[in-house]
Amino acid sequence: MDLRSGNFDSELSLHELLSGVSPERLTAILTLILGTPFRLVSTQGELVMGIALPFEGDVSRAPLSHDLETIAYIESPSAEPDKLSAAVILLELLLQSGARYFMAAKMHIEVVQSDYEALQRKHTLLQESEARYKILAAHLEERVEEQVKTIDAAQRQLYQAEKMASVGQLAAGVAHEINNPIGFIRSNLSTAQSYVQKLATMAGMMQSQGSAQLNAAWRDADLDFVLEDFAALLEESVSGADRVARIVADLKGFSNVDHAEEEIVNLNDNLRSVCNVAASQLQGRADLELELGELPPLRCLPGQLNQVLLNLLLNAAQAMTTPGKIRIRTAVDNAQISVTIADTGKGIPAEVLPRIFEPFYTTRDVGQGTGLGLTVSRDVIVAHGGHIEVESQLGAGTTFTIYLPVANADHPR
Amino acid sequence: MAEFDETNKKITIKLVYYGPAMSGKTSNLMRLHDMLAPDLKGEIMTLETQNDRTLFFDLLPLGFRTPSGWLIKLKLYTVPGQVVHDATRKAVLSRADGVVFVADSQQSQGVNNSEAFQNLEENVSRVGLDFETLPLVVQFNKRDLPNILTESEIKTRWAAAPWPLVLASALDGTGIKETFIQLLQAVYPILNQQVALDDVHGMDMPAFISAVVGD
Repeated sequence: MDLRSGNFDSELSLHELLSGVSPERLTAILTLILGTPFRLVSTQGELVMGIALPFEGDVSRAPLSHDLETIAYIESPSAEPDKLSAAVILLELLLQSGARYFMAAKMHIEVVQSDYEALQRKHTLLQESEARYKILAAHLEERVEEQVKTIDAAQRQLYQAEKMASVGQLAAGVAHEINNPIGFIRSNLSTAQSYVQKLATMAGMMQSQGSAQLNAAWRDADLDFVLEDFAALLEESVSGADRVARIVADLKGFSNVDHAEEEIVNLNDNLRSVCNVAASQLQGRADLELELGELPPLRCLPGQLNQVLLNLLLNAAQAMTTPGKIRIRTAVDNAQISVTIADTGKGIPAEVLPRIFEPFYTTRDVGQGTGLGLTVSRDVIVAHGGHIEVESQLGAGTTFTIYLPVANADHPR
Repeated sequence: MAEFDETNKKITIKLVYYGPAMSGKTSNLMRLHDMLAPDLKGEIMTLETQNDRTLFFDLLPLGFRTPSGWLIKLKLYTVPGQVVHDATRKAVLSRADGVVFVADSQQSQGVNNSEAFQNLEENVSRVGLDFETLPLVVQFNKRDLPNILTESEIKTRWAAAPWPLVLASALDGTGIKETFIQLLQAVYPILNQQVALDDVHGMDMPAFISAVVGD
């Protein structure tokens, strides 16, 4: 039986219609009904069932109709008419039931097929939406990672900025508090110098016109030396006070935390100011050698860059196991300013080197370092559109180089 | 599109009775089987489940020969009305030359009627037919029951619709033949265009209808 062809309502052939019935049994039954042999032939005359050879002589012939049309003939040499019509009725019933089965079966296949196609379509749609969802999910992970990185960086900067802000506030506060006393100390010292000068004038007069007793007392008290030393002492104090005032000024300049605005600076000035701030840390550890080249003006956030330079300088100072050198070189090449800070310290082990920019990675003892200095430094440099490089040889020293583009009008902030 | 078989000189027309479950589609066919007397009339083939619900379809074949010697066959089908058998409805509806929508006149059946009609509209376009041009007759069946929509209610509701509206009762035969004749009148012009019934086969509309109905 072939159910593949056509729709449920397409025409059925005689073979199809009789395919569910055993031809042997049907032949036997029909022969019994008719009481004679018979032939069932199609409208085209081909044999479907019964005797192979056509009958000779008189033949009774009755049409079989199906679906309003004659579909076959039953032939019998001598069957009685009522028996012949009984055979026709039986065959027509069989054809009808065959048609009923075929149409139902084909309809079933059509329905299953269309349901299956609908399922497949749904499945395809689902797969498409799943794929879209997967891409979205993957993309989402990337986006989240990016966001996390951004947040991390912002957090580090914030932490450092907070630290700087508190340190800066402290420094600014201290500087402000020191500024006043150092101011009047300085002015008092000047006044004291003029007093000493007046006293010295008086001393001359006393020695030329004074009594012997007074002179003796003067000498006993060694007031000549006192006057001389007094002036020198005041001189020294004045230069001391001046130094304090300069440090205070540098501190104020460096800790300029309220200046989170872009400024156009000469990076060499920043370096000098940073060196002054770090001077006490460097004392006895390293000699500074500055080779500052001619630099173009740079638009930047000076507070942040100062922080980077100070971080690198203090790291260099801390790398010294024995007194050594720190060489700072600035240059400009190819519209890029480079700042090189090279120390002759103990160097960074090769296995540590790849990790030095990782946040919270530190080789220092607990409480000695946060592990954020270099991380934030790199963040700041990248935020300025630049990059930072490091070279190190164990036992020979480390060199950090910062590259900053001069025209960084479009770097993200 | 009617099947046109030049070799065997045969034209087959497919007409479908559509509508919600239990609206009387099978009863329509039964009635027609009893009422109509064309030259050729086959037995009704029903494919139903135990509780008298149509599972696949019912089929009533009618036919006659034209003066030109051609055989014209009309195959009247019903669809299963139950919502789950939508795929079967689509298969039966495909290649239909005309449709009778059998609605249930009972007041409680308004939602079922409109859902089934919407389903007809959707499936017509799904099987590639044009709802604008498809010959369609709307029959409100079960007029013999109580609690039915009045004639004026129905006519008001369907006032904007372009299709002929027939009130019927398959139980006593009212309006059944009229519905069928209305459908034949809608189908004839299209058929005539396709196969030149009038010019080639000598069948104008009245002749065609009386041949099918057998009056």
